[in-house]
Amino acid sequence: MKRPPTLMHLRIQGERGGFGLWLPLFLLLPLALVVFILLSPLILVATIILWPSGWGKRASFSLRAAIEIFWSMRGLSIDIHSGHQCVSISVA
Amino acid sequence: MSDNKKRILEMLAKNKISADDAYRLLSAIDGGEGRRESAGKAETAVKGKAKYLRVTVLPNPESERSGSCDRVNIRVPMSLIRAGIKLTSLIPSEARDKVNLALHEKGIDFDVRNMKPEDIEDLIGALSDLEVDVVSSKGENVRVFVE
Repeated sequence: MKRPPTLMHLRIQGERGGFGLWLPLFLLLPLALVVFILLSPLILVATIILWPSGWGKRASFSLRAAIEIFWSMRGLSIDIHSGHQCVSISVA
Repeated sequence: MSDNKKRILEMLAKNKISADDAYRLLSAIDGGEGRRESAGKAETAVKGKAKYLRVTVLPNPESERSGSCDRVNIRVPMSLIRAGIKLTSLIPSEARDKVNLALHEKGIDFDVRNMKPEDIEDLIGALSDLEVDVVSSKGENVRVFVE
């Protein structure tokens, strides 16, 4: 079973300095779940209303795809250096 | 039975070689085939474990020493590629036509509409064999590979 990402590290380094940010995704996940549960009646109604036009199906597919993409991000690492500038993103 | 083994047995039958020689030759062939088989299995296992697509750009040593160099190191999980490819079905038909036209202009005869979820696994499997290694005129080394 795939495990969701737990931590995201973002680091941006410029010529005049930079900053690093640790995002505890494992803390954000329960929060996102609560928001999703609270909004689920609205999402359900919107999906039912938009279903005949085709957008409901598309929206539900997009939501599922977004969750799947988020779940698959574990292990992603982007590290780009250009001269003295640096951008680094890693998901663990 | 391989051709080599048959030939050895024929030579033994015609008394061109002794039984000991035939045994030694057959053992040597079996050893070689065993090694090839285990090497093939190891290669398949390595390919089966392909988890990430890597893209690296390494500068030439001279510009690395001077500090004014570009360096790229990207690691994309295969599962993310798999999930991303599924999103192609969300591309609006107008955009798909534009993509097809752009591909056709570049000499690539490929219709994005024909890409089905069943093809994704084949595509990921084909990626496992991918290895690109390019050295530019500036001495930069660009590598795209799967690990």
